[in-house]
Amino acid sequence: MNKEEIIDTLKTIIELYSEEATALAHIDENTDFIHDLKINSANLVDIVLDIEEKFNIEIDNDSMAKMLTVKATTEIIAQKLDAHAG
Amino acid sequence: MLGNDIVDLDLAKIQSNWRRKNYLNKIFTAEEQLMIVSASNPDEMVWLLWSMKESAYKIYNRKTGIRNFAPKSLSCTLSSNADRIKGTVSINNDIYFTQSEMRPSYLHTIATPIYHQLAEIRINIYQSPENLFDYKSTKPGCVSHHGRYLALVY
Repeated sequence: MNKEEIIDTLKTIIELYSEEATALAHIDENTDFIHDLKINSANLVDIVLDIEEKFNIEIDNDSMAKMLTVKATTEIIAQKLDAHAG
Repeated sequence: MLGNDIVDLDLAKIQSNWRRKNYLNKIFTAEEQLMIVSASNPDEMVWLLWSMKESAYKIYNRKTGIRNFAPKSLSCTLSSNADRIKGTVSINNDIYFTQSEMRPSYLHTIATPIYHQLAEIRINIYQSPENLFDYKSTKPGCVSHHGRYLALVY
């Protein structure tokens, strides 16, 4: 799965937890879940759990701590998928 | 430095399903999970502990400049010997004191690193803040917004 595919899948998850239509339409690597998408912090946990299910990976606490932007989240998913494959 | 966090309990009910598998384990320490499962009202306990962590994090974040999502690194204790809900939240070597107010439709927590300040914090809670005044000009020490509620502390 390349970076674009990861971001596309990630978008389908994030959409469930944000009502910021304009920001959602312009999601890119720099999008911040809380500042830009106004996602409730309690829903960040749902996003992490959805990612675990959808990508079939496990997100440890240290990785979760960084998952506040699309960029950081995409990098973590890519890393975990790589580790899985190897 | 002050921290606060308000939870619109009706919105929390529909916005978050904390009974979802692994949810609690991502946010709460083992001790906190025990407090939740043994509480007479587990929903209230989940959001009480959550608002304690959020209000303490707001101080920690401003003090250290560290921005992360590590709710499990904030560890809560509660004291239940009064009508006021008091507690502590520890993160690394810092400790914050909290006081919470539980209402039928909302829950509000204030946090401070200095215990005696708890009694001095002024709290303003507004409902349905769509017709909002310019609250930033009142220079609140911390602001929290959730659902129908806006909470300012000074």
